[in-house]
Amino acid sequence: MDVEQAACDLRNRTLSDIPRSLDRLIYLASMRDYNTGLYYHDGLAWRFTQEVACEALADCHREAFGQLVGCSLRDLVGQMEAYIRSTHTSPRDFVAAWKKLEPYRVAVPVETDPVSAQLLFSSFKIALAILEARLPSVPEQPAA
Amino acid sequence: MISLIFFLCIGALLFSSLFLLARRNPRSEGSSTALVEAQQALTALQTGLLPVALVRRVFAREDWEYVRSEAPRSVRELFLDERKSLAILWLTQVRAQIRSLARFHRGAARHYAKLNPRLELQLAISFAALTGACRALQLFVYVAGPYAAPQMVGAVAEAAGRICKTSEQSLAFLNAARLSALAIPATTARL
Repeated sequence: MDVEQAACDLRNRTLSDIPRSLDRLIYLASMRDYNTGLYYHDGLAWRFTQEVACEALADCHREAFGQLVGCSLRDLVGQMEAYIRSTHTSPRDFVAAWKKLEPYRVAVPVETDPVSAQLLFSSFKIALAILEARLPSVPEQPAA
Repeated sequence: MISLIFFLCIGALLFSSLFLLARRNPRSEGSSTALVEAQQALTALQTGLLPVALVRRVFAREDWEYVRSEAPRSVRELFLDERKSLAILWLTQVRAQIRSLARFHRGAARHYAKLNPRLELQLAISFAALTGACRALQLFVYVAGPYAAPQMVGAVAEAAGRICKTSEQSLAFLNAARLSALAIPATTARL
């Protein structure tokens, strides 16, 4: 019951300000300690307990992942474009970095079934290829 | 001489049967491990692999329409390769979990006299048909791509769903049987 209350609290106070599921997934994944797999949120732990906060964050993370997996490719590309704008990074640099580092691979909740995880990775890969194809071509440098 | 060869053949046959029996997988003995594995396979199918939303997404034609209209040829090829791999992965996983359930049912059928033989026979046929269909669909997807047989995908998912429901009933019965078996000594001890 406490976990449900904490998850509601998190949704109402924090996640309601993050409209896109992609942004929510990245935010919630960033709340997880990669060494232990546990989630931390000081405000939520203060209102409830660390264990309850951890469970609530994990629930919301799974929810955001499920929503993103359910998105169409068109929707995912749209979300990525909006996310790139929100980071104030140049689209070319963003696409190059994401293609090389594949940061979305560490944004998946634990115990996700392999097909869902692979579906999301594959969709990210295709979305990045679409965004790359949309980038304006770089004018050739005149020979010195 | 002929009778010696005959008896030697029978001996060899018996020996190889004993060897095969000795090598038989202990998981198929209706043990708790087999029960747990069957429950895991059932959960993996019901919550991970067979939800309609996931199957629709893996084989979503609207994604292909979008890529075909918006992206250059290289991206279209990448998309088809990716979706083909994904479809094959889905089918491989479904087939593996169905085989795990079938293995459990084969083991359980030998140990629980109360199992319904007709139901078990129906299940055996369904398991064989479904694993065959998964294999055929894998080949079809590999050759003709992920959008070649949408009806067959739907049929496989539906058949797997039906098998899950039947297995669920069997597993519920086996769980109850085990719990009651555990409860008997406790009752006796109290008396």
